[in-house]
Amino acid sequence: MNMKKWWLSLAFAGLAGVVQAGERVVVYNWSEYIPEDTLEKFKKETGIEVVYSTYESNETLYTKLKLMKGEGYDVVVPSTYYVSKMAKEGLLQKVDKSKLDNFKNLDPDLLNKSFDPSNEYSVPYLWGSTGIGINVRDIPMDSITGWQDFWDPKFKNQLLLTDDVREVFHMALRIKGYSANTTDEAQIKEAYEYLKELMPNVRVFNSDAPREPFLSGDVSLGMIWNGSVVQAQEDDEDIQYIYPKEGAVFWMDSFVIPAGAKNVANAHKFINFMLKAEIAKDCVDYVGYATPNKAGKALLDDETASDPTIFPDAETLAAGEFHTDVGDAVLIYDKYWQLLKAGK
Amino acid sequence: MKQTEVFRWVTIVPVTVWLWLWVLLPTLMVLAVSFATREPDQLVDWTFSLDSYRRLLDPLYLQVFWDSFWLAGITAIICLLVGFPFAWWLARLTPRWRALALFLIIIPFWTNSLIRTYAIKLILGKQGIINTVLKSIGLIEAPLDMLYTPGAVICGLVYILFPFMVLPLYSNLEKLDDSLMEAARDLGATRLQVLRKIIIPLTMPGIVAGTLIVFLPAMGMFYISDLLGGAKNLLLGNIIKNQFLSSMDWPFGSAISIAMILLMGLLMLAYFQASRRINRTGGIHDSTL
Amino acid sequence: MTRLSSLAKWLLIGGVFLYLYLPIAVLVVNGFNASKYGTQWGGFTFKWFEKLWTNANLMDAAWHSLVVASTSATLATILGALGAIALYRYRFRGKRFLGGLVFVEMMAPDIVLAIAFLLIFMTLGITLGFWSLLIAHTTFCLPFTLITVYSRLNNFDVSVLDAARDLGATEWTAVRKILVPMTMPALVSGWLLSFTLSLDDVIISSFVSGPGYEILPIRVFSMVKVGISPEINVLATLLLVLSLTLVLLSQWISRRN
Repeated sequence: MNMKKWWLSLAFAGLAGVVQAGERVVVYNWSEYIPEDTLEKFKKETGIEVVYSTYESNETLYTKLKLMKGEGYDVVVPSTYYVSKMAKEGLLQKVDKSKLDNFKNLDPDLLNKSFDPSNEYSVPYLWGSTGIGINVRDIPMDSITGWQDFWDPKFKNQLLLTDDVREVFHMALRIKGYSANTTDEAQIKEAYEYLKELMPNVRVFNSDAPREPFLSGDVSLGMIWNGSVVQAQEDDEDIQYIYPKEGAVFWMDSFVIPAGAKNVANAHKFINFMLKAEIAKDCVDYVGYATPNKAGKALLDDETASDPTIFPDAETLAAGEFHTDVGDAVLIYDKYWQLLKAGK
Repeated sequence: MKQTEVFRWVTIVPVTVWLWLWVLLPTLMVLAVSFATREPDQLVDWTFSLDSYRRLLDPLYLQVFWDSFWLAGITAIICLLVGFPFAWWLARLTPRWRALALFLIIIPFWTNSLIRTYAIKLILGKQGIINTVLKSIGLIEAPLDMLYTPGAVICGLVYILFPFMVLPLYSNLEKLDDSLMEAARDLGATRLQVLRKIIIPLTMPGIVAGTLIVFLPAMGMFYISDLLGGAKNLLLGNIIKNQFLSSMDWPFGSAISIAMILLMGLLMLAYFQASRRINRTGGIHDSTL
Repeated sequence: MTRLSSLAKWLLIGGVFLYLYLPIAVLVVNGFNASKYGTQWGGFTFKWFEKLWTNANLMDAAWHSLVVASTSATLATILGALGAIALYRYRFRGKRFLGGLVFVEMMAPDIVLAIAFLLIFMTLGITLGFWSLLIAHTTFCLPFTLITVYSRLNNFDVSVLDAARDLGATEWTAVRKILVPMTMPALVSGWLLSFTLSLDDVIISSFVSGPGYEILPIRVFSMVKVGISPEINVLATLLLVLSLTLVLLSQWISRRN
């Protein structure tokens, strides 16, 4: 028994190569949110190995961090209001800007947001939106103008929705004219009643890779992130993005360093590397989301820089909404979300 | 004599300690937490509360429970209806072919279940294998809607759990004595009567074992429903996971878990009652579990 | 049997094997398919194997998985065998309780075990990582190894052991020279079963794994959720080959006994 185990172990030692020794940084990021070769480039330049894993929701990230008491990860990438939430609960440590000489590459307009006024804890990475994805081979582009169109009975069992309670409720709340950040139970309930009518049209909930059902032909219309569409277009140009007239969901994801991070210096090196203009450009090209990095944006080719899917104009931005922390009202949202999913 | 004593302790103690520490204690903790109050920041607030259990009675959760039960039940029934004739055939092969057939049944089992589920997506999708084949031979015009339906989920569950039904059934059927059935036929029994009065009672332990071994895991495999069913349904596993990873309501998640364990326990009890009853009515019973 | 029922029988058998093997065939074939989309054949290629090989994170996860799986399988086999002997051979206080505990654990759904482990690890202050994984995996494999060995012992003539004892052998010698060889097939299949279960486990692992020590099932789950990725097919083929090898090995070992 022992012999067999050791033989097997040795055989696979060859497969895995040298087990990591030396400098490392543990990064926890959204899935499909970094170009494949960026980590290699980082290692080549600094000699630091990146131990990389992914998550598909802020909740998962938040819970993991809480369970580990802020230890174990060196760099994580929460969205918008999760930064303020985690900072308030002592899960983050302040970022030392003196170690980030590429910080100056960032667009000042995208700094000092309400969730982290002087960017004490966070360094913006990418920002984007959740809007409408459409396969123009099956559905004409101009027939869809807003969230409201999802409710059309002809889309029975055809829609894709992201598996995110705030984003799904955002649709109904905006249609009804309310803020997507409301904490008013009456409004949320009204949104729930309206969403109930949408449920027969839903074919799949997907927050891992919403473009996949589009690409496999199982879905032609639904909610999707703008970057997902850009990535999908590499394989199928018929997949397009539409900003809904009632207002898209906007969000910004930032690098933060958990309170108990072990490799703080390496974490800073990693963030600084990601702030480089060429790396920021790579991200936009590969991932399809907008970079807050002014220097990086300047390096983009004209087609990419003027693509409204990646860089919406000011009017579109104003029509949409960034999500903020709703505190304990999240329980109300959760309650109706469960009712929505369990109901028939 | 002392060596015997030492050895006896060596066999008993490690397992006992391990199980007490890593099974009994955690279960007691889950029980304890189920009576606590929700506290998202500190994770658990140790104020006694029956709120979690009260919430269980909400029709929403009864619906969820029913959905999970139904899904697992259909899976078990399909596995049984297909598995029984299959195991019958298996038991009647010559030993050489039998070994090969068993081997072939088990091989898929040794492959990662997630990856196999992914393969099912490739097969059932709108541009998947089945649709492509049917379209190319002209049987259908528009692609069939197979993925992201309850049917797809059941397909996946049956696929993963089928061997678990076949093996206990086979082990039972293998010991079935042909001469009993021959004798019954000689005495004038019809095929149906032979089935009802001899075969089924004698194989009941195998049937029950197989059904349980399929039904119980099927109740918990929510990720297959998520992958193949489009995450449209809330199953018991989803709710528990959400309580721990999203809603941060550990007491409620624990309460649901305890309820699930109790439910399984009841089913187990029913199993034991059933086997004991068969024993008492004189059926030839051998322990197959 | 009438011709119709004979036909029905062969349809059933054929149908079952088709159902079992079609997905696997799809995976293996697509591992060599140059087209990313499984439904069109784009030519034969090894490039996905290359891609997999150079995917360092995946390789690391695979290595970690193998370590955890083989270690926990070994530990579970040893503990399970000891426990089986105890339950089979001796009477002691709490024996039935122990049996019940094993049974309950085997029937509990993965998610319930997962949160139970999480609670105990947090209480005892065990950081989530290699050790939490090892403990969790060993624990959920334990009932299977125990039952496998136990049922083998059940089919076994106790008097052989007693005869050995009468001839003057110590308990330890009796175990070493008689019990272990006779239960070897059960030990081997128990180990293999644990190894497979460990490599397959997603739910428990996602709750008790920590940063920096990722294991294969979790990576696979992420990959499968993200969707079309030919690397999965290659991985499936490799895992299949691994399983086949292990099972054949186990057959060979049992036959030698």
